[in-house]
Parts: sequence; C-alpha cells; structure tokens
Amino acid sequence: MKDVKVCVLRIEGTNCEDETFQAFASVDASPERVHLKQLLGQCPSDLKRDLGSYDILALPGGFSAGDYVRAGAIFAARMKSGLKKELISFVENSRPVIGICNGFQILVELGLLPAMDGTMSDIPDAALYTNDSGRFECRPTLLKQEKSHKSVFTADMPKGTVVMYPSAHAEGKLMFPKEKEQKMLDRLLENDQVVFRYVDPDGEYAGYPWCPNGSLHNIAGICNPAGNVLGMMPHPERVLRRETHPDWTREEWKEDGDGLSMFRSAVRSVK
Amino acid sequence: MPLEHLFFKRDVPFRLYEIALGKASDDELKALSKEMGLSLSLEEMQRIRDYFVRLKRRPTDVEVESIAQAWSEHCCYKSSKVFLREHIFGIDNERVLARGDAGVMVFDDEYGYALRIESHNHPSAIEPYGGAATGIGGIVRDVLCMGAQPVALIDPLFFGPIDHKGELPPGSKTPKYLVSGVVGGIRDYGNRIGIPTVCGGLFFDESYLGNCLVNVGCVGIVKREDLRDNAVGGVGDYLILCGGRTGRDGIHGVTFASAELSSASEDESRGAVQLGDPITKEPLIHACLEVNSQGLINGMKDLGGGGLSCVVGEMALSGGCGAEVQLDDVPLKESGLAPWEVWVSESQERMMLAASENNVKRILDLFAMWDVEATVVGKVVPGNEVTLFWQGSQVFQVDLDFLTKGPEYCRPFKVEVRSSTVKHIAPKLPPIDRIIIDLLSDPNIASKEWVFRMYDHEVRGGTVVKPATGIMNKSGPSDATVIKPLPDRETGLALALGVNPWFCGLDAYRGGMASVDEACRNIIAVGGYPDSLTDCLNFGNPEKPERLGEFKQAVTGIGKVASYLDLPIPSGNVSLYNETARGSVLPTPTVLGLGIVEDVRKCVTTDLKKKGNLLYQVGETKDEFGGSALYRRYGGQGGEVPDVSPEVLKRSMDQLHECMKKGLIASCHDISDGGMAVTVAEMCLGGDIGADVHTYMTTKELFSESNTRWVVEIEPFEEKEFLNIMTIPVKKLGKVGGRDLTISTETEKFSISLDEMRNAWSGTLGKLMG
Repeated sequence: MKDVKVCVLRIEGTNCEDETFQAFASVDASPERVHLKQLLGQCPSDLKRDLGSYDILALPGGFSAGDYVRAGAIFAARMKSGLKKELISFVENSRPVIGICNGFQILVELGLLPAMDGTMSDIPDAALYTNDSGRFECRPTLLKQEKSHKSVFTADMPKGTVVMYPSAHAEGKLMFPKEKEQKMLDRLLENDQVVFRYVDPDGEYAGYPWCPNGSLHNIAGICNPAGNVLGMMPHPERVLRRETHPDWTREEWKEDGDGLSMFRSAVRSVK
Repeated sequence: MPLEHLFFKRDVPFRLYEIALGKASDDELKALSKEMGLSLSLEEMQRIRDYFVRLKRRPTDVEVESIAQAWSEHCCYKSSKVFLREHIFGIDNERVLARGDAGVMVFDDEYGYALRIESHNHPSAIEPYGGAATGIGGIVRDVLCMGAQPVALIDPLFFGPIDHKGELPPGSKTPKYLVSGVVGGIRDYGNRIGIPTVCGGLFFDESYLGNCLVNVGCVGIVKREDLRDNAVGGVGDYLILCGGRTGRDGIHGVTFASAELSSASEDESRGAVQLGDPITKEPLIHACLEVNSQGLINGMKDLGGGGLSCVVGEMALSGGCGAEVQLDDVPLKESGLAPWEVWVSESQERMMLAASENNVKRILDLFAMWDVEATVVGKVVPGNEVTLFWQGSQVFQVDLDFLTKGPEYCRPFKVEVRSSTVKHIAPKLPPIDRIIIDLLSDPNIASKEWVFRMYDHEVRGGTVVKPATGIMNKSGPSDATVIKPLPDRETGLALALGVNPWFCGLDAYRGGMASVDEACRNIIAVGGYPDSLTDCLNFGNPEKPERLGEFKQAVTGIGKVASYLDLPIPSGNVSLYNETARGSVLPTPTVLGLGIVEDVRKCVTTDLKKKGNLLYQVGETKDEFGGSALYRRYGGQGGEVPDVSPEVLKRSMDQLHECMKKGLIASCHDISDGGMAVTVAEMCLGGDIGADVHTYMTTKELFSESNTRWVVEIEPFEEKEFLNIMTIPVKKLGKVGGRDLTISTETEKFSISLDEMRNAWSGTLGKLMG
C-alpha cells in the first residue's frame, strides 16, 4: 500500500495543525507539519521541503498572522507570491487540497475557491464575512452533504447525509459581490460545488443558531469544479472520535466520530 | 519632599543615576519609595540602605528598582508565605513531579500534566481588555516554561453587578464595560493562540465594584523526559532572550499589584499594564517546545512580573550560579530606554532560554524560521552575583542571596467569624416555583453561554465534556470539563473550579474548605477522581489584621481538606491588596481542581437521560444557609455557613466514583448555588425532559447549599447495586419524565415548565450585556 504524504501547512497563528495532523494519522496516512518557510526554502537546509513531494495539502484552522487584515489574507498573499506555480500544478494534478475554517478563508483569498473560471483566480471571487451575530461562535453545527457526484472527500457520504462538525469562527458567512450573488450561486449549484449546508436536527435548512453565521444559502463548505479542492468553515478534525461530539453521553458508544470519513475518503483517493 | 539631592547622574552617555541611600533620612526613604513607585516599606528601604552602606557604595537606580521588584508582595509573598508554608506547601506525595512556575503532576508513566492559576486583577481593573489578555499570556508562559504544551485555559471572573445603578468607587469603571473588555481580551487572545478556554465562572457582587478579579489558569501536558527546570544548566550556559521586544509597557506591574487601587491608579499606573500580542506568542510556543523536545536547551523560564530582573536572578540562583548580562543587547521596541527600564519592564511574550554554546546556533535558526526573535543577552558565570553591563559600563551587581531572599512577615491578624456575630435574619420566601425562576435567572447562577460560545473551547480537538452538555442547542451546565490531552490514550483530565466568596465572607475557614469540596464534587460528578489543586488567593490589604485573618482562615480551611484528601497544591498565586477606599473584595480563594479520568469514554454529564429513570440525592442536607443564594436573594442575613467533613467527603467521593466506574450513573450534577432544586432544574434543561420530585424537605431545605452533595440519575434496574455501594446517606427524590419540573414537599406542590425555566436560565446574561 502506498504511503500517503500529507503536508499540514502552517505559519504563525495557524493553530489547528495538531488535530489536523491527527486526523490524517488516524486514517493511516503520513502527515507532516510543515511551516510555509520550509516550502519557500527560508529555513535551515535540512528542513527544506518540496510541495510536489506531498499527496495531499491541508490548510488547518486558526488565525494565521492574526487575521488582522482580513481572515487568511496574509497567509494567502505569502503563498501566492512564493508558491503560485507549485500550487497550481498541485491542484491540476488532481491532488486533494482541504482548507478548514481559516484554511477555507485562505483558499478563497488565494482564488483556489470557488475557482469557477480556472484553477486559480487572480482576485478572490468570494468572501467569508463577519457572522451575522457579530460574534465569535463556538457551537456544534449539523451539516448536510449536498454534492451529487462522488468526490475525493465525500466518497463515504452519500448526498443527504447529515454530520455533526462543530464550528468556531467569527468570519464564516460566505458572500459574493451583491450584484453577482444570484448568478454566482446558480453557477456554484450547477457545477455541483456546494458540499455542505447547515441544517437543523430535522435536516431542514434553518437559521441561527443552526446556521451560526448567516451564510448565503446556508453554505458551510464548497469545492472547486473538479472537486479536489475543498474549503469548509466547520471542523471535521475536531470530531475524529465519538467522545468529542456534544451529546455523546446520550447515545450508545461508537468509536468513530463524524469527521473521520472525510479524511479516510481523501486518503483512499490517492492511494 | 525634594529628593534631587540624593540622585547623582553617573558620567556615562546614557541615563544612569546613583542614589545616595546612605545619606537619606527615614522620611526621605519613605518618600523615595513612593516617588519611584517601589511599594516598599521603611524597614525594607532601610535594609537596602544598610546593604549598600556595607558595600561602601551608592546603589544605582537599576539596583534599587530590581530589589523592589524582587521584594514585592507579588514576587516574594512576604505577607502570605508564613501561612502557606504551614498549611499548603507541606502537602506532598510521589505524584508531584515539579513545583516550578507551574506545578507538574504525574499523568501516566510517560507524561505529566502542568497546572497553575494566577490573578491579573489590577491590570484588568485599569485596562480590562489588555489586562485580561496578558493574564492569559502570562499563565500560558508559566506552563510552557516547564516544557509543557498548554492544552486548556480556565478563567474565573468576578465583577460588580452588571446592572449596578448607583455610584461607583472613584476611578473605577462600570461592571458592564469591565465584563465586556475582560471577556473580549480572553476571547481574542485565547482563540488566537489556539488553546481552548474550557472552564470558568462569572461571579457578581457589590464588593468587586472597584476591584474586579480576573483569575486565569492553564493546564499543560508534558512528556516526562521533556520536563524542564526553570534554571540554568551550569556555568558557560548562554542566556537567550526570545519572543517579543522590550518596551516601556508593563513597568512596575508587580509593585502596582502590591498596593490598593485608588482613583489615581488610572493615571499613575496605565503604563504598568502590558500589551499582549498573541501572534508573537503562538509561534513562540511552537519554537520553545521544539527546541526543548530536541534537547537543545538546559532550562527555560518566562518573563512575567519583574521582567528580566526576576528571571535572570531566579534562573541563575536555581542553577547555583551567577550571571552576566549585556543589558544593551536586549532588543527594544523603541530606543531611549534607561537601563533600569529595560531590566524591570514586563513587556509580554518573552521567554528566557539557557543553552550550551554548541546548541545556540541551531536554536537561533529554528526561532528564525518561526520569525520569532531570539538574542543571546548573557552568560552564566561562577559565583552568586548577577552583573549587568550597558555600553561597557557595569551598572548593576547584586548578590543573589540578598536579592531573592526578600523579607517575610508574620503580620498581626485578627480572626473574625462573621456568621457568628451577624444577627440572623430569615429571608421572606415566595412560593417554590417563583424561587426557582428567580434563582435560575440570578446572574450568578444563570447560563454563561453568552461568554463561552465566544471562546473557542474545542480547539485542539480534545474537549470531551464541554462547558455545556446535553441536547444540541438545549444544553445545560457542566460540573467539570474533561479534556483528552493525548490522541493515543483514553486517559483524560477533569478540570473544575471551587470558590464561594459569600461563604468566605461570613466564615473564611469554612469557605476555604467549601472551595476544595466544590472542586472535588465537580470532578467526581464527571467520572474523574481528584488528583491535585492549584489556587489563586484573592484577598484585601494584608496590613489590615481582619483581612489577613480572612486569608489565614481560608488557607487553613483549604489546607485541612486538601491534606486529608492527599491533594498536593504544587502551584498557586496570592493576590493581596484587592481593595479600594470603599473596602475590600469578598475573600475569594479560587481553587482549581484537577482530576484524572481513567477512561474518558465513561464520563458522565449533568443532562437527564431517560424517562422513568430514578433520581437520588447523595449526601446530607443541613440547616446551613449562611451565604446561600437563597439568603442573598430574599434578604436573609447571617446563618451557619456550610461545613465540610473531610472524612465524609472522602467516603462520598470514593463510593460515588465506584458507581461511576461501574457505569451505574446516567447523569450527575453537584449541588451548589441554589441547592437541590436548582440542581435538578439544570439537569432537566440539558436533557430537555422534566422530573417529578417528592421530598420531605422543608421549602427552605430545597435550596440549602450544604456541601458534599450530588443529584444522580440511575436506571431502575441498577438501583439495587447503587444502594449496595452507597453507605453514605442517599435519599430517593423521584423520577425523570414529562415536560415539567414538579416538586412536592410536605406542605407545597409546584410545577414549572421546561420552557419557563429555560427562559429564565438562558436569557439572563445576554440581556444584561445587551
């Protein structure tokens, strides 16, 4: 069996790298925490790494560079200036890229999502804007898998499956420029790019608190048209096992948490 | 008083003064202490004077400032140590691995856990956002410098009532402003460094109006082989200062913390509040842990109170050496700082590493990769002196014994038990259902969801029992939070707070005992077993005998229960002078308990699980209402403060824990504020199911806050086994089911709907904060 190498990329303020590392480790991949400067060659020579040598790229959550400009903007700018070619070829080689929370914000800032007109847009086409509540929201959220066609991340999650991935962010409201909003949304749906939408326990598309941020069309996660780049606000890496679900003491014990299947599916796709 | 004649500028191209202490009169010494912001007494100034007279030279301003830091109440515990030594320090067992900036206890054969709690009260009263944020920053460094990865933050907070209408003590800010600033500071700092804030408390009382209390705790996990001393390794070690730059922020933080707050504090002490920068801290944590786990460093210590002056002295002394520091090599935020300012600045996000020469380059390279500044600033030398140089001139040389052996006092104290002197007045009680609604919506009891949803309490992916438990978006409160710090093992840590300032105000001894009892109850309630404690002791001015009496009594109470239960307190913090012209805060000994959870998959939460299950009360209800929420709400006064029997507590813990291990307990909630009735109500909320309670208690007893009690839910078929194990008193309360909480006593019967209770409990805080 092939050893699947995962690059868990970080800079200062990236802070979900340990659990993202763990997510891939628990599905028998070989993750490595890699600082962006290791890919850019700005480090001691024994620590240099090459993006092309990895099978999967993961951008974990956090507050990269403090998110003081716009969430994810600085990380994205640093990647784009030093790593653009490598990133484009990584994506075009159909290797999976996942961005969670701040990672999603980075993918949007990079133009790797929604990327409806090519692998990477020059300027961001969308934004993840301040939650409607105006607050950081750390709460359990239910997501319905919406993608019709099988994809690298959702192979074990048929359309309509509802999973619990918790959210924790202040800026998670997906928005398009107002004048293009409906058109962009239509294209997103047409392209089968909507992966997750917030729902309530009955599976209905509901408002706050079930949708923690007021996101357009209750969207929690989207992919690129090819399906190998996924960005999502909620955190599958926080529910690798049942006991980090919010209400696990109310149910019969099960080993796996809802988050595991996504990582398993991605790793299997490149094996 | 003119003091210029005592200052002599030395002939060097920078600001350095010698102070002619030998010539100063007693009045001038007192004035000097005040003028320079040293917070030292006359006797202490005289001691410094005599030391330099013996050396036949005038001290420099760097030396005097440095000694004032080391001898501050905050750094040397001069008023409190005598009591701590008697009651706290002696509790020891083989599970204690270290007592450094944080305590470290055995987690398992391979790992230890680090714990500490401390206060950041005065800075937060002046600048709530920055004060609270840097409080988090400081406690995280305390855990980090043991070599431990921080895994959880804990923050009990104490304010005046949010809706306070009347006048405020001069110079103080409105509680609402303080709450919003402090919570915002914790949120923005804690969330950014990626350490989950999992546990806390919000307490409101008039006594905190002028002096809020911001206590911050941190827990970490460390491979036992990576556990570091806060000491240099030996002569020849390099001292590497890393992290943030040094500036004028945070000068005199510790001396400011060692005096009462006044209306002038804002102007005089604004500069004592440090500025936090989580995005320097976050990579600093990574870089420090990385160089430590690679075995590149011999010791590490954080720069907190007293800045460089404390860290260099203490690291050298602990390693049995002296040190030489090139003070002008310290990277600065701005130019023009005088040597003494650099030496005592408490600028944030700084750590000191001690490393052998051959590892220095690799360390600097790794820090450079993380874009964290690291600079060699000094070297470890033989002897027991610290010497400082600035542009080639020696500006400081002090014997470490003198510097670090600060004064220690046995100040006069007076023990008063107010519960026995205050006239007892019984409260005027409305019907039971009204009481339950009133208490559920009391800000001290109501849901703290408004706060903890703004804290990322799940980052790191190991929060097993969260601040809220139960059905999604209908959850109730948790007793303790449980984290699973390591992905590859099932062992967890239960974290729980215990503190009841109102008990302590009437009887500090019983209040101290109750805080340990509460922390232990909470840990037992989730399926853990208490293993250690750390405490933050917030009191008033120790120079007032009544205040010191409260301190002594509380510490005695804590020590009594902790030593009976064999619970070491390997770290802690004392915060005195929490006082304004209007008076002292309530005596507030905050206890953070840590428990080991053998298997997190067996954790128990507070939410009721199933219709038809039985409810039992564990423990005995007594006529103890002093300080209770019931008395406070309805005008009661005095009364007996709930007592603790350590023997009964131990037996109760053991028996209930046994039931937990056997899986007999479906849900469990400790009985605290608001008594049994409020406890059951909260359990109903989390499970979104009602309960039917029949009891022969009086109305009042439903709300008694007697210690060492829990409510448990058990399946009917497990009742027999439960009763077999429990030899301590248990009482059947009733059954789970329905959409109401129904309570019948001998004389009354009432029902309240879940919705009504949820409205009262959930909405309060958000409404108050607008």
